[in-house]
Amino acid sequence: MSGTRAIQTRGLRKVYRSGFFRIPYVGLEGLDLDVEPGESFGFIGPNGAGKTTAIKILMGLQSATAGEASILGQDHRDPECRRKVGFLPERPYFYQYLTANEFLRFYGSLFDLRGDELTRRIGVLLERVGLARFADVKLGSYSKGMLQRAGVAQALINEPDLVVMDEPMSGLDPMGRALIRDLILEERERGRTVFFSSHILADVEVICDRIAIVVKGELRGCGTIDELVGDRVRHVDITLVGTLPEGCPGTVVRTDGDLVLLRVGPDEVDPTLDQLRAAGARIRSVDRVRMHLEDLMLEEAERAEKVDSKRMGVLA
Amino acid sequence: MMRMYAIAANTFRETMRDRILFSLFFFAALLLLTSAAMEEITIGDSRHVVRSVALGAIRVSGSVIALFLGVGLVYKELEKKTIYTIASKPIPRWVFVLGKYFGLMAVIAVLTGLMLVLYMGMVTVQQGFPGFTVLPAMYLLIVELALLTAWAILFSTYSSPTVASLFSIAVFVIGHLADDIWIFGSQAESVAVQELSRVVYWVLPNFEVFNVFDTAVHGIPTEPDRILWASLYGLGYTAAVLAVACVVFERRDFK
Repeated sequence: MSGTRAIQTRGLRKVYRSGFFRIPYVGLEGLDLDVEPGESFGFIGPNGAGKTTAIKILMGLQSATAGEASILGQDHRDPECRRKVGFLPERPYFYQYLTANEFLRFYGSLFDLRGDELTRRIGVLLERVGLARFADVKLGSYSKGMLQRAGVAQALINEPDLVVMDEPMSGLDPMGRALIRDLILEERERGRTVFFSSHILADVEVICDRIAIVVKGELRGCGTIDELVGDRVRHVDITLVGTLPEGCPGTVVRTDGDLVLLRVGPDEVDPTLDQLRAAGARIRSVDRVRMHLEDLMLEEAERAEKVDSKRMGVLA
Repeated sequence: MMRMYAIAANTFRETMRDRILFSLFFFAALLLLTSAAMEEITIGDSRHVVRSVALGAIRVSGSVIALFLGVGLVYKELEKKTIYTIASKPIPRWVFVLGKYFGLMAVIAVLTGLMLVLYMGMVTVQQGFPGFTVLPAMYLLIVELALLTAWAILFSTYSSPTVASLFSIAVFVIGHLADDIWIFGSQAESVAVQELSRVVYWVLPNFEVFNVFDTAVHGIPTEPDRILWASLYGLGYTAAVLAVACVVFERRDFK
């Protein structure tokens, strides 16, 4: 395995067993992933896709059933590989009896940090995440957004080369999301690798250099947003003045007097325009609406669902 | 070592800030001080009865604290998911288990020390200074509680506090009846019962090995050999139970 990649996985598989009869179900199916140093990498997929499972395996919280993985060139099973890794779990829980200061001091000491250097880092981080004023307030009285910020601070206390975050923006208000987004961008600018999963795809599109889509435990695509989405058109909006002819394809989105907004599929544009012109309609505009990450994810989820249905059909 | 110390120090702080601990300690102190009343209602050698009841109260209270806090120690980290941010750090899991254990043992040692101070004060006021013959007994009590806590932590690494409590109480009771179980087994007619009692006797701890309170209340010094062998037995057994706890915890998936 390469020693230079921030994260590399080959055939990473996780099978869970549940219930009295230990019935197996696949949480992750042969994940191959390469995350390069210095990039901001988004890991997206619907609920139960296997994102958290993959992250937990990488962070040493769960063992893989098969496959291998390396972090910063070291085997992921060796705890020492996480010396230069920062991790923020999904919906983090922290020791409520600690103040933010004590909390960061504790996490710093887990990296053998101490003394003036630790004090300096705590001061800088609390300032960065906007908690300096609350340094001596117990975490038990923090709001969800403040806890998330404290969580980010503990993930950065060791000045990591790789930051892994599981749903860092989940449940945050727009201001909280913006803060986390800015922190991720700052980390990327400092040359650190940021690997995170998220449901907030608008943010993923803004922040990430590359993304991977995982659905039902399988990797369905990996690359830059341009590579994955490219110039693919989701639909075309035609604005026209006049009446729609009989049997005209598409869906009417809005009408305002004679003005009609008609939405058609990318392949239906030319025949539709011909029909409209033949019917005497005046075309005001034709807007090709680019596919978004969300559409791609939904498309992949539907495809996976169809494959599943076929499998079930074969089994039946 | 520093990382283990950090986890132990955090456990110590967490436990000392826990209100339940104060309730338990208050109950223990009350039990201890009430034993002073035994002098009024006892016929005969009331001085020794008071000492015996007071030391018994310390022993029971220490065991309750060890069991009560030990069974939830690791489980609480899993339930509250605080383990996610700890196990993802460059820390082997055995360091975490031992850190938690030593943190709790520090709490138990401090509380036992406080109860000893209370005991000495109470006896001095009531009967005059009792001397230091009680110190080896208190030391062996801490060794006993170290072993009991190790069992509680072992159960805590793979089961809920309720199940861990039941198992730990079973170990506690069997451990105090170990000699009786041996005698019962040797007198049984059934070979199966004989074998079972032998297995229970040898596999589970014998907590009576650590009990020298009977001599301590009479001011008789404990023999150094007894202290040495009980220490070796207790610490060796504790190390073995903790090793199993570390192996069990190493294999756990955090869901």
